[in-house]
Amino acid sequence: MAEKILEIRNLTTGFLTDNGLVKATDRVTLNLEKGQTLCVVGESGSGKSVTALSVMRLIDYAGGIIEDGQVLFNGQDLVTKRQNEMLKIRGNRITMIFQDPMSALNPVFTVGEQIAETLRTHKKLPEKEAWRQSVDMLRKVGIPSPEIRAKQYPFEMSGGMCQRVVIAMALACNPELLIADEPTTALDVTVQAQILELLSQLKTEFRMSMLLITHDMGVAAEVADRIAVMYAGAVVEEGTVSEIFNRPRHPYTIGLLRSIPGLEGERGGELYTIKGSIPPLSKVPSGCRFHPRCPYAMDVCRTNEPPLRESVSGHKAACWLDDTGEDDPRPGKPNRVETKVTIGSRPEVTHS
Amino acid sequence: MTDAKLEKPVSEQTWNTAQGTPTGPQITVVEKRPPGPWKTAWKKFMHNPLAVTGLIILLIFVFAALLAKWLTPYDPTRIDMMFPNLPAGTGGHLLGTDELGRDIFARLLYSTRISLTVGFLVALVSVVVGTLIGAISGYFGGWVDTIFMRLVDVMNSIPLLFFNILILAIFGSKVSYMIMILAFTSWMGVARLVRGTYLQLREMQYVEAAKAIGVSSWGIIFGHLLRNASAPIIVNATLMVGGAILSESALSYLGLGVQTPATSWGLMLSNAQEFMLTNPLLALYPGLCILIVVLAVNFIGDGIRDGLDPKKTTIPQRRLAKWRRKYSKSGI
Amino acid sequence: MTEFLIRRIIQSVLVLFLISLLSFALIHAAPGGPTKIYLSPSLSQEAAKVQAHNLGLDKPVPVQYFIWLGNMLKGDLGYTFKNHIAVGKILWPTVGHTMVLMGAAWLFSLVIAIPWGIYNSTRQYGLSDQTSNIIAYLGFAMPTFWFGIILQEYFALKHRWLPLSDMWTMGKEGNLADLFMHLVLPVTVLTLGFLASYSKYARASMLEVLDQDYIRTARAKGLKEGKVVFRHALRNALIPIITILGLDLSILVGGAALTESVFNWPGMGRLFVQMAVAREYSVLMAITLLVSVFVIIGNLFADILYAVVDPRVQLGRNGGTSS
Repeated sequence: MAEKILEIRNLTTGFLTDNGLVKATDRVTLNLEKGQTLCVVGESGSGKSVTALSVMRLIDYAGGIIEDGQVLFNGQDLVTKRQNEMLKIRGNRITMIFQDPMSALNPVFTVGEQIAETLRTHKKLPEKEAWRQSVDMLRKVGIPSPEIRAKQYPFEMSGGMCQRVVIAMALACNPELLIADEPTTALDVTVQAQILELLSQLKTEFRMSMLLITHDMGVAAEVADRIAVMYAGAVVEEGTVSEIFNRPRHPYTIGLLRSIPGLEGERGGELYTIKGSIPPLSKVPSGCRFHPRCPYAMDVCRTNEPPLRESVSGHKAACWLDDTGEDDPRPGKPNRVETKVTIGSRPEVTHS
Repeated sequence: MTDAKLEKPVSEQTWNTAQGTPTGPQITVVEKRPPGPWKTAWKKFMHNPLAVTGLIILLIFVFAALLAKWLTPYDPTRIDMMFPNLPAGTGGHLLGTDELGRDIFARLLYSTRISLTVGFLVALVSVVVGTLIGAISGYFGGWVDTIFMRLVDVMNSIPLLFFNILILAIFGSKVSYMIMILAFTSWMGVARLVRGTYLQLREMQYVEAAKAIGVSSWGIIFGHLLRNASAPIIVNATLMVGGAILSESALSYLGLGVQTPATSWGLMLSNAQEFMLTNPLLALYPGLCILIVVLAVNFIGDGIRDGLDPKKTTIPQRRLAKWRRKYSKSGI
Repeated sequence: MTEFLIRRIIQSVLVLFLISLLSFALIHAAPGGPTKIYLSPSLSQEAAKVQAHNLGLDKPVPVQYFIWLGNMLKGDLGYTFKNHIAVGKILWPTVGHTMVLMGAAWLFSLVIAIPWGIYNSTRQYGLSDQTSNIIAYLGFAMPTFWFGIILQEYFALKHRWLPLSDMWTMGKEGNLADLFMHLVLPVTVLTLGFLASYSKYARASMLEVLDQDYIRTARAKGLKEGKVVFRHALRNALIPIITILGLDLSILVGGAALTESVFNWPGMGRLFVQMAVAREYSVLMAITLLVSVFVIIGNLFADILYAVVDPRVQLGRNGGTSS
């Protein structure tokens, strides 16, 4: 097995809110191998962004804490590091890009200055050299006439352009791991594809590993090696792209896949929806956290939480129905039914 | 503040999309209505010790003003040159008498009436004026908006204390004039606020919907949009009460507000300054009254504002820090 | 830049014109009109007519307005009604006195308030923050004149440490040490008010900026917290602070009517109050206009500053805060 660059083990994070203690992530375990891309997929409120912020240890500034667990980066635990030790890692070996590029850039500095700042901080480059490399980076992310653009302010650029700047900033120090938190959500559809393309191209060029966070199964399918599905603060299924798409084992994943509007779908057909809504983190249900919305919920689901069980191939899922832990669904089990889903058809499960 | 206001339309919108075309897996069918913003605000308000204290103090002053007749046997205007400058507690005078032998406690009580009346009326009138102007401005836009906003600019460019003094000097000092003048020089904040909210809201779908089913412009302004702008207006109005009480006392102190034989805290202070050497305590009471009432009103205003602010938690920072120290696994 | 400036100046002149119109209209809207205001009631009807003619009060109101405005622009501020003294002669010296007092208080409070507010934003709800919060509450709720009176009672009457009122001790005019002693109490009173709003404003502005996405980006870059706060946050937080300072420039001339009255400071504010009680309308009008001019210059200054510090403001297209 290849070397792991990032291992998240039982990451539990907490927020103290008016509604009491809230666990934004609950014993999240994820692994990312060197050079690979792991996509974390989930609805908003599923804890995926908090996971990313925890890896960066930016969660301390977002009002949350890491209650338990480990985040091993090349074997070093980041959770117990002090913030000033994190300074050498953050922005240098692990970098992050955010959802809204327009607001992620400081409005009163030119984009060149903002990239150069990273280089000056971590590589201790002199002013001039930092600037030269910033312009270089802008060129690498596909910004035309980078010498002129570097002297511009963020408000003078489009959203897609800003995201390219943010990427340039993130890659300037040649990081080992890039965390992208919904990097395309705030952008136009056409630009989204370009940015995704750019990310995967740069990932190879810079030999990085990537942790990509998205709510969009389509994005995940395009760039991921492995996909982890999160629901209400916990990982419910994890596997390779083909495992997730072709043999999903958790009813939530199945629901997600079925609710993607596809090009091939019959027109006029009603789109599948998962009934109910994601519970607020302060009211995560007992037992299996998905059971109130699960069409296959059984008595055991209401009381006992299913463990995340791993099959021989490494495909993990947390569902009581999936009691073999094998990728061999028996008759009557949801994965068997759902593998034949025609997108756009009217599934009977919604009315059960 | 506007966030709180936007809450309602936004939630309606998500609901709409859920019925129509979902953009992602996020589907919301709300099973139980969450408590409305007002209910949450009230809960937060009652958990805010400063706000509750403010409310209690204000209520005490209101009752003191209403029940003044029964709380003191003395007439605040009765001059008794036999017993000037009595110390507190002598001869049944709770706080003593002033240089003309008038009972200080009685004067304080009756001053409360004037100050609170001015405070609340000014806030009320300026909110009405400001809301009207802001709503019309924001709703109709165009040249109406331009004219009103220039007016706001002009009003904001006038040194208001000077302006108030000027007008009272021209028209004479009467409490009713003072209320009008103070109201007509303090509506601009509300007008801008209401206008801003309206500009944001009028593009929203439910306004379109209201128009489509034939609700008149005025119906939309006052039925639909006003409900969404009411929270910041209330906060603003509360804080305005304090400002008006301060202005009233200032004008009266300068001799342009309440005139003898009527009494007001500001007027009492102006007298007190003349007799600073003989009776220094004379200056203490009215000032303290102003300070306490205005503090109370401001506490209430802040309490309402924080209550309506969805981002504001009621958790004290100290508890957060303690929680962080206790449960955080990571170093700082 | 020039286009932007010209546009703003034209706007300012327009606002000023409206203010002059408003104050002029007020005098004419007064009960009995300007004749009653300008003429002594003891005059016989005949004499009143002559007097009114001399003052130009028999001309149509718009004509009167333009004559008055023209005189103002020429620097002829008119004469007091009672003793027929040129308004300029009593007004101009007070402007300087007010500026001394307000300038001292303003600078003093700025130097304290802004760094303090910024510090408090990074240490929310700490001891320093709570102290500043209490000061802010007091500053907003305390009648300044009362605070002045209390200070006078304690420091000047009870202990005689500081002079009670006025700008100079008799016979010591021009003595800087004496001026300083006289400044202490009024400056303290004014500072409390300024401190309350400025430190709160600086803190709020800073907190808002610290909540922005680009601050998270700055942290994600691995910058030290000091750099995040002082380089990335402060630059943005200062924009609204600077703007508010520009807007408040007008306080330098107009804000102290109360404090000046309490401490008998021979400034413009006290003059205004005295003249209001004496109903000297020509002085009142002149001061109102003068202060408005300062307010408008302050606004203009704020807009320009805003355009200079914030790269997002595109000069020439749209100016500033009022829109």
